[in-house]
Amino acid sequence: MSSMINFGIDLGTSNSLIAKFDKGQVEVFKNPNGFKESLPSVVAFRNDRILVGDQARIYVEKDPKNVASRFKRKMGTTETIKTQSAGSKTPVELSAFVLKELRNFVHSGEGVRSAVITIPASFDTVQSNATKEAGLAAGFEQVLLLQEPIAASLAYANKERGVDLRNSQWIVYDFGGGTFDVALVRIVEGELTVIDHEGDNYLGGSDLDARVVELILAPQIARRGKFTDLIGQMKSESGKYNKLWYRLLHAAESAKIELSTKSSAEVDLGMVSLEDEEGTVIDSLLTITRSELEEIIKDAVDSTVEMMKVIITRNSLRSEDLKFVLMVGGSTYIPYVRKRVEELMGIAVNTSIDPTNAIAVGAAYFAGAKEFNGGAQAAGSRAGESRIKIRTVFNRNSQEAEETFSAKVEGDLAGLFYRISNEDGSFDSGLKALSARITEDLPLREGAFNFFQFRILDGSNNVLDVGFDSIQIAQGRYSVAGQMLPEDICLVTDDVANKDTRLKKIFSKNGILPTKTKSSVEVGRTITKGSDDDIRIMVVEGPAEKHSSTNKPIGVLQITGKQINRDLMRGTEIDLTFEVSESRDHTVSAYLNGTGQEFSQVFKGTARQVDPRLLASEVLHLENRIQSEAEDATNNGRQDTADKLEKLLGKVHELMSECGSLSNDDVTDDRYKLEDKKRRVAQEVFELTASKRLDTAKAAYASAKQEVAVLVQESGNDRERHQLREVIAREQTFINSTNPERVENATSDLERLRWNILMRLPEFLTGMFENLVQRRASMNDQTLGKQLIDLGERHKSSKSWEDLRQVNGQLIDLMPETERASDGMRLYTGIV
Amino acid sequence: MSQLPVIQVPKTFLSILNHLYEIEKKLALHGDPGNASRNVEKIKDAFREEGVFYEDPSGQPFKETRTDLDATISGQSTENLVVAEVIKPVIRAGLTELSRVVQKGIVVVQSKEIGDEK
Repeated sequence: MSSMINFGIDLGTSNSLIAKFDKGQVEVFKNPNGFKESLPSVVAFRNDRILVGDQARIYVEKDPKNVASRFKRKMGTTETIKTQSAGSKTPVELSAFVLKELRNFVHSGEGVRSAVITIPASFDTVQSNATKEAGLAAGFEQVLLLQEPIAASLAYANKERGVDLRNSQWIVYDFGGGTFDVALVRIVEGELTVIDHEGDNYLGGSDLDARVVELILAPQIARRGKFTDLIGQMKSESGKYNKLWYRLLHAAESAKIELSTKSSAEVDLGMVSLEDEEGTVIDSLLTITRSELEEIIKDAVDSTVEMMKVIITRNSLRSEDLKFVLMVGGSTYIPYVRKRVEELMGIAVNTSIDPTNAIAVGAAYFAGAKEFNGGAQAAGSRAGESRIKIRTVFNRNSQEAEETFSAKVEGDLAGLFYRISNEDGSFDSGLKALSARITEDLPLREGAFNFFQFRILDGSNNVLDVGFDSIQIAQGRYSVAGQMLPEDICLVTDDVANKDTRLKKIFSKNGILPTKTKSSVEVGRTITKGSDDDIRIMVVEGPAEKHSSTNKPIGVLQITGKQINRDLMRGTEIDLTFEVSESRDHTVSAYLNGTGQEFSQVFKGTARQVDPRLLASEVLHLENRIQSEAEDATNNGRQDTADKLEKLLGKVHELMSECGSLSNDDVTDDRYKLEDKKRRVAQEVFELTASKRLDTAKAAYASAKQEVAVLVQESGNDRERHQLREVIAREQTFINSTNPERVENATSDLERLRWNILMRLPEFLTGMFENLVQRRASMNDQTLGKQLIDLGERHKSSKSWEDLRQVNGQLIDLMPETERASDGMRLYTGIV
Repeated sequence: MSQLPVIQVPKTFLSILNHLYEIEKKLALHGDPGNASRNVEKIKDAFREEGVFYEDPSGQPFKETRTDLDATISGQSTENLVVAEVIKPVIRAGLTELSRVVQKGIVVVQSKEIGDEK
C-alpha cells in the first residue's frame, strides 16, 4: 500500500518544529510539556541524563561544557562538541536527539517513519547529507530535504491558492529568534528554485531584546536613582542586579510584542522592590514608545536590507522585477521591520503566512505530496520487545514530597534508554541509559494522584513494550492519620429560578483530610435585625449532582435576625470557610460582609446534627413538592408516577406527625431515624421525577435555542454568533446526559445571551420602560420615580438607547422587592 | 503510545491570571490598606471553579527534571538551585487532585548559597 510521507520538520538553529499534512490541512504539533509549538534546538548532558529542548536551554549559558546549542551551523564539519559528561558529540548526533524529541510531539502516537527536513539555502552537499544522516540516525526510514525558503514559499502558495506565481520571483526574508536569512526564489520551468541567498548567523529577535534593555530600559532606571554601573551590574553573573537583567529581557520581549499593535508599552516592575545602590526605592513603571524601539533596531533592520540589495544587484535585478518580500520568522511581526523593508526596497511585503511556523507548514505540504517508499523494515526495531524483563519497586501511596522508583531489568540492555515523565507536565527525567538496576527520585505533588509515564526506548526513540508503562503514586492518601472523603461535601443554596435548591460542591469525593476551602454566597433575602428570619448554611454529604434532600445532612449553621447587629441586605456577600479535620469534624465559618460579624460552628464527625425544627420544615417542603409533582404527573397523563407519588405522600404525612411529636430537645435517636426516613422518601421522589426534570430541561433548552438563534441571526454580533455556536457545539455533551442540571446550565448560557442582545434593542427597551411606567404607583420613591420617568421619556424621543437602558435599571431598583423578584418563591436557605 | 491531548485554556484566562498574580504580589509588597487581597482571592476562587488555577513557585527547589518552569539561572552555580524570582506563575487546569500544567512558570533561579547571603 502506498502512503505519503506527510511529516515536515523545521530543524532550526534556535528552534525546531514538526507538522503533519492530513487531508489537505496541516497541523503543527505542540510540545506535550507546556504546549509550545517550538522545541529549542539544544541538548544537555547533565549528570547521567540527556535533556532536549526547554530543559536543556536553561543551562546553555551557565553550563556550556555539558550543553550543546546552535550546532546546526556546524553540520557537515568535523568539529565535535565536547561535553564533560558524555564525551564528544557530532552535530549529526545532536541533531538526531532534537529530531527524536520532536517525534514525541505527535500526540496521536503514530510512528513517524519518514519526514521532510528543511535546510538553509546556504547548505552545501556535505551539510545536506549530514542533515539526512541525522534524520536516519533519529530512526526515520526515509528522509527528504527541502530548502527553507522553498518551504516558506510552499506555505504561502498553499494558503493563497488563487495567486498566480508563474513566471515570477520573490524574496524570502527570514528574521528568526537567533539568525537572519534572505533568499531569492524563482519559478524555473515550473519548479521553485533558490537562485541566491545571504545571511547573518548572529542576528535575531533575542539580540533586539537585549538592545531594548541596554538602550532604553536600563538608562530609564539609571536616571531615577543612584547607580554607578547598572548595566555592568546587570550583566555580570555576580552583579547585584543580575536577576533584574533577566526580568528586563522578558519584559522587553513582551513590550516588543505589545508595540506591534500599540504606540507605547509599559514595563511594570512593581512586583519586585526596585532599589538603587543607596537603598532608595525607585519608581518601577517604565515606558517604551514605538519610536524608541524603532530608533534602536534601525541599524539591525537596515543591515538586513543591505543583504537583500546585494542579492538584487548580484542578479542584475530591479525592485520591480520582484513580486513581493515574503516575511518569515517571529521578528517580522514588528511593524517597523515590515515598513522599513518596504520603504528601502520599494517592494511590497507579504505577511500572509504565520511567520513562526511557515517553514514547518511548507515542509508538511511538500511531505503530503511525496510518497513514502520505505516500509521494508517496518517495526524491525521492535523485534526485541520481549527480550526485556522488568521488576519494579515503589510505594503506591506516599506521604513524602518525593518517592524513589527502582527497577531490576534483565535482558540485552545495550543501546536502550529509559525515560520517566509526569503526565501533568511537571517532571521529565530525560533520556537515561538503561542498566540492570535503575532508580529515579520522583517528585510528588501534594494531595494529588501522580501519574508517571514509564518508557523504555531504543536508539531511534521507538518505545518497547515491556508490559509496564505507568507509575501511579497517590500522595497524601491512605496514611495512618489521614483519610479520604467518602463522598462529595456540598453546600445547599437556593435556586430561585426553579423554585428549588441546588448543591454547590465544596470538597470532592476522595479529597484528602484534613482539608480547607473558601467559598462565597449571597444573601437571597434581606434579614431584618431582631426578626426571626434566618439564613441557613446547610452542609450535606453525597453526590453533588443529586438533590440536597437525597444527601445526608452534616449540619446547619443558622443565623437569625436576632443574632445580627444590623440589617443584612439582600445581595450582601457572605464569606464561608469550610474545614474538615482528619477525624472528619466539619467546621463552618461565615463572615457577614454587611455586618462585620463572624459565626462559626463545628459539626462533629461522630454526631450528626439534626435540628428537629429544620427537619419539620424540610418535611413540609417535601410534602409541597410531592403534591405539586403529583398534580403535574396527573395533568400530563403519567398516572403511574402520580400514584407512586401519592403513596409517598402518605409516608410524608406519617413523617409529619412523627416530627410533630418530637420535642426540640429530644435526647433519643428518633430525630436521626426520622431524618433517614425523610431522605429515603426524597430519594424516591427524586428518582420518580428525574426523567420529567430532564424532559423539562431539554424542552426548555430547545425552545431557548430556537428563540436565541432567531435573535442572534437578526440582531446578534460576531461574538454572540460565536457564543451560540459554542453552546450548540457542545450540545452532545449535555443533551444525552442524564443530568438535568447540565442541560439547565446550557439553557442559562443561552438566556444570558438572549438578554445581552435584548438589552440593546430599542423596541425591547421601550417596551420595558413603558411597562415600568405603568407600575409607577408601587415604586418606593415617587419623586425620584417621576424624575427618572421624565428622563426616560427624553431618552426615548432622542433615541438614546444606552441611556434609556440605564434609566430602566434605576427604575427597577425602585420597585419593591416583592414585585422585583421573578417569582414569589419562599427561600429555603436564604442564600444564593 | 499516545500523548495526552493538548488542553485548550483561553488565552484571556491565562492573561487575567498572570495579572492577578502580579496584583497579589504588589499588594504583598506595597501594602493593602483597602483589603483588595480579598477580591483577589474571590477572583482566584471563581477561576478555580472553572478548573484553572495558578501556583507561586517562589522558594521551591529547581532541578533540570522540572518541566513546569521555564527558568533562567542567575549567578554562576548550577547546583542547589531555588526559585528566586517569579515573572509568571505556573498555571494548571483541572482539580487540585488531578491537574495539568497549561502555562509553565517563568522564573529566575539561583543557587541556594547565593540566596542565603542576600
